[in-house]
Amino acid sequence: MRSIFQLLIRSGGFLAFAMLEVLCFYLIVRYNEPRAEIYNYSAGRMGGAIQKRWQHYADYIGLQERVDSLAAENSRLENLWRNSRLIQIPYRDTFLLTIADSILLGDSLLMRKHVRPAFDYIPAEAISNSINLNNNWIMLNRGRRDGITPNSGVITTKGLVGIVRLVDEDFCMAMSLLHRQVKISAMLKREGAFGSLIWEDEDPQVMTLKFIPKHIEVHKGDTVVTSGFSQMFPRDAMIGTVIDSPATIDPENPYFFAIRVKLRHDMSKTKDVMIVKNLFASQIDSLNQRIKDE
Amino acid sequence: MNSVSFLPHLWRFLGLAAVQILIFNPIAPQAGQYFSVLLYPLFILLLPIKLPTFYAVFLGFLIGLFVDVSTGIIGLHASAGAFSGFIRNTVLLAFQPKGGFSGKEPIASPAYFGWAWFMQVATVFFLLHTFWYFSVDSFTLVYLGAITLKTLACWILSMMFVVFYGFLFYPKQ
Repeated sequence: MRSIFQLLIRSGGFLAFAMLEVLCFYLIVRYNEPRAEIYNYSAGRMGGAIQKRWQHYADYIGLQERVDSLAAENSRLENLWRNSRLIQIPYRDTFLLTIADSILLGDSLLMRKHVRPAFDYIPAEAISNSINLNNNWIMLNRGRRDGITPNSGVITTKGLVGIVRLVDEDFCMAMSLLHRQVKISAMLKREGAFGSLIWEDEDPQVMTLKFIPKHIEVHKGDTVVTSGFSQMFPRDAMIGTVIDSPATIDPENPYFFAIRVKLRHDMSKTKDVMIVKNLFASQIDSLNQRIKDE
Repeated sequence: MNSVSFLPHLWRFLGLAAVQILIFNPIAPQAGQYFSVLLYPLFILLLPIKLPTFYAVFLGFLIGLFVDVSTGIIGLHASAGAFSGFIRNTVLLAFQPKGGFSGKEPIASPAYFGWAWFMQVATVFFLLHTFWYFSVDSFTLVYLGAITLKTLACWILSMMFVVFYGFLFYPKQ
């Protein structure tokens, strides 16, 4: 005890100083109004600044989580939106049932049994992309583990991106729209006429819509969407707009137009995408196979 | 500190605190914001050279608190006193004679080290004390310019009274 006291006297100068200064600080703030105001003001400002900075860091740390949750939410809404347009229930089969469900359950729970979503949307991220080659590919960070299968479409909220061809455990390779072998079944939304969309130009923003018959009225600015005839993309998914006025005749086939279409999605900015999985792909493939066999 | 050397310090404590409380503190508010004299830190400077910092801090705090009671701002002089007690040994060590203090000189007085040495030590010591005092008085470093001006004015006046005190008493213990 005595040696501790001696040690305190020998080296406790700073400790005594610090303790007494804290005491003085307390006394000044406690018994002196103007200085108490300065203290409160400074403490308030400092506290606010610290809290603001902390909030900033907390926001930053939680950013990835927020991005993930937004992507998931986006995907969920995309599912709802797309599938809501695919609900085609015969009037005579469902009218009474639906009304009865609505009345009895308040939420038409049974009606949901009739709804058969055709597509599932899986959020993914492009980890490599090219637009300057003749045949461009995009690598995505989703694979077999995520339920990805070949021939699934790849889209963004703005438009089409490509088609999945090769699938590995955790990654997949999608053929970009800017690939010479890509052929998308597309249609002019206003007229309903459909044709094939291919990439002939060198321009990564322009594709060509072929096999639109000559009698169809085509205007500059007409919207081009997916036809829904291919199993890879849902119907009415945005592609782009017509830039030709008037539309030019296809030199290879004079009975049809070759319409240049400006893509809505900028392929050079492909980052966050959704892989479209057709939930009935196996059934449709099986039917197609049977037709071929016959 | 034996009983023989204890009494001069007690008298110095009481005398300097009284002068500060009865003369300098009442004058300051009437003479303007740049007129203030702080003489009581001399008690801290003239404490025994070998006194551990621990004691110097407490004694500095004590005389400061004594002065504070008369001004009504409790803690202001006490803070400056504790600070001066804390830096006192550092200042003395910075100016120690070649070979260090011999132990024969009980206090840092001109009677033992000469006026030139004493003035150097007192200059630095009082400058640090007054700067700390006015910083705590303002309670913010926003007014650093005003703090510096007040420090310089107070320091010049205080040094004049320090010299006066030295000539008058020429303290030896």
